[in-house]
Amino acid sequence: MQHTGPVASPPVATGTYLDGLSARAHPVTLRLADRLEIDGAGTRLAWDLAGLAAGDTVPPLVRIGPRGSPARVEFADPGFADALAGRCPDLHRSDAAGAGGTWRLVLWSVAAGVSVLVLAIYGVPVIAGRLAPLVPNAIETRLGGAVEGQVGRLLGDPPVCDEPAARAVLDRLVRRMTRGGDTQGEPLVSVRRHPLANALTLPGARVLVLSDLIDKAESPDEFAGILAHELGHVAAHDPMRALLAAGGSSFLLSLVLGDLTGSTILIATGQAAISAGYSREAENAADAYAVTLMRRAGGDAAALATILERIAGDGDRGAVATFLRSHPMTRERAQRIRSLAGPGSAGRQILTGADWALLKGICRNVPVKSAQ
Amino acid sequence: MTQPLAFDARSSSGRVGAITFDKRLIGLTGLAIRGFLLSLVTFGIYRFWYITDLRRYFWNRTVIDGSPGEYVGRGKELFLGFLVALAVLIPIYAAIFVATLSVPSLAPFGSILSFAILFVLGQFAGYRGRRYRASRTLWRGIRLGQDGSAITYALMATGWALLTVVTLGLAFPFMRASLERYRITHTLIGSSRMDSSARGRSLLLPWLSFYAVVLLPVLGALFAFLTATDFTLPADLFVPKPGGKPSETIFNPAYAGTPVATYGTILVGTLGLTASLGFLLIPFYRARETRVFMNAASLGPVRLSSTLKARQFYWPYIVYLLSIIGLVVVLGLVIGGGAFLLQAKGPASGASWVIGLGLVVGYLGGALVFAVLYVRVITARLWAAVATTTTVADAEGLAAILASSRRVGSGLNEGLADALDVGGALEVGF
Repeated sequence: MQHTGPVASPPVATGTYLDGLSARAHPVTLRLADRLEIDGAGTRLAWDLAGLAAGDTVPPLVRIGPRGSPARVEFADPGFADALAGRCPDLHRSDAAGAGGTWRLVLWSVAAGVSVLVLAIYGVPVIAGRLAPLVPNAIETRLGGAVEGQVGRLLGDPPVCDEPAARAVLDRLVRRMTRGGDTQGEPLVSVRRHPLANALTLPGARVLVLSDLIDKAESPDEFAGILAHELGHVAAHDPMRALLAAGGSSFLLSLVLGDLTGSTILIATGQAAISAGYSREAENAADAYAVTLMRRAGGDAAALATILERIAGDGDRGAVATFLRSHPMTRERAQRIRSLAGPGSAGRQILTGADWALLKGICRNVPVKSAQ
Repeated sequence: MTQPLAFDARSSSGRVGAITFDKRLIGLTGLAIRGFLLSLVTFGIYRFWYITDLRRYFWNRTVIDGSPGEYVGRGKELFLGFLVALAVLIPIYAAIFVATLSVPSLAPFGSILSFAILFVLGQFAGYRGRRYRASRTLWRGIRLGQDGSAITYALMATGWALLTVVTLGLAFPFMRASLERYRITHTLIGSSRMDSSARGRSLLLPWLSFYAVVLLPVLGALFAFLTATDFTLPADLFVPKPGGKPSETIFNPAYAGTPVATYGTILVGTLGLTASLGFLLIPFYRARETRVFMNAASLGPVRLSSTLKARQFYWPYIVYLLSIIGLVVVLGLVIGGGAFLLQAKGPASGASWVIGLGLVVGYLGGALVFAVLYVRVITARLWAAVATTTTVADAEGLAAILASSRRVGSGLNEGLADALDVGGALEVGF
């Protein structure tokens, strides 16, 4: 209101006193002396200046009260407010976490976020690798069923190919390849009609072969080579490991990261990066497994390299071969397979010509779609 | 607004108390930018402190009968509540996951099941969150509060939601009014209990406008379509797309030009048109509902009176939408121009990096601008519209409010609501 020297009369203002017990507004006169004197009808108070705290109101309105007490005084007098602020250095001090608290909070939440990210990207796959072989078979089988249903829906529910004679050839082939192997019991190999040359391994020792792969194979050993590669994934528990890793990572990321900001995009890219497929090491291990298996089963161990190159060549020409993208460079893989296989097994055939012809017709039980 | 109470309560019987809101919004932009950026770098953890800052800002700028509101909540309380919610939610998510896996017959209903559980939980959490906000709100030194049971509220809300589905939406305004009555009659200012006379039938007319705009034209078009097809839909109306993925279908070209196609197009067009019209009606309904609920609320002899107009709810959305369109156009021009320049220069090795960096900066910058605009335009303007159109009738009755000695509710109440993403940071209207 007015600037007063030390000898002049103390600043005065009118305001409203609220006792914190009722909402009744008591009109009072405020006088800034050694203490804040509050005078009104039935009210005569003096508050210690050091213990006063101001609320975060819009000027010129000011709300002050003793720290920790519900009693308040409200007034709208800029001059008096300035005088009061000059006398009470702690008037606008916020209680606990000041600016330092905010920076500590920011620092530690960044640290926590980074450690969760590192755990999700590097730790979870390792943990999943250790955990995957420990998952009981019954649970894995059940999971495999659920995943197969999901994959089927994703592919548009392709019909199952099981022409009986061809099926018998396939069963014999699978039995021969898994004899003495370390796959979890008898793998469930199923063939579906689909215009994609691919084979997938699912949890619970399920192998899903899409019919175009059989069409593309020019010898039984090429087909068997792919099958052996997938059995390598089965033996190494790769599908279960990938499922645990992807599930664990995305669960961890989406739980910790809030959704107020662009953090969501981090989750999306993280999940995409994580679920891009098996690691290069896992693929190489499955290739090595396939070579050993083919040699033991009496097939051409290098045929896998031939069909890989053929399908990848298709992909280069623009056909759909997305699954290969997550596989390590095809040429490099093919070279490694050939050097592992050596010349010893070249020219061997895992099936007779007649059996191979039967197997090629495994989709004969499914009528070709009428459209176009 | 800044004049303290200088009236003698007895001589001014029937005095009307104003509710004002400081619309200059000084400092809000800085608050929003800081909150957004810190939330971004802290993986969202800072949002609890940001929300607390925002509430303190809005509460303090809302002046009821001369005295501003006061928010005394803490970011730390919200964060702790979030941790508690995680502890509750993780087992529930895990249980749903395990249940759908171990009971295969349950698998197709997995999403419905989790939706149902999360809906009930969300209602529960929303009520507890409101209790937290009330207990951290003070006015004239008097603490607000909320009693009642969140379980009762969640069960009520669930029952009403089922009834709404069964009655094809007709029960919706009655549900809203019933839940509002429960919320308001369990709201305490000090030791005084609020009361609400909200009735669903006063909302029926605005609600039925949705039916008039959306449902009737769609029903008409559907009837025309069914008449044209003699009430039998051809089974081969959609055929697999040639050369497409197995799940892709296209409209069977054999039906082109037939009445089936004509009325089908009309049906689809009507659906699209009325759906967007219905969307445009939402602010109208919300404004009406807010007005009805405000007018129904009372505290002893003290009544609230609202003159809220629907256009006051439309304006913020229109401004926000126009700002977004303008921003997107500018951003598109900048990015397109940059890409064109780069292409003209020839495929330099660094070009893709520049574009990638530009996209990241554009995305984050755009998100920042949208976040700030949302708070400034939508939140602040809707809040201002509700506050400034409301007055307190018989304001001298406010003097009768006494503080309560009840215990202050735990700060852990609101975390679940945040974790479930129900109930915004600032709910317009209390």
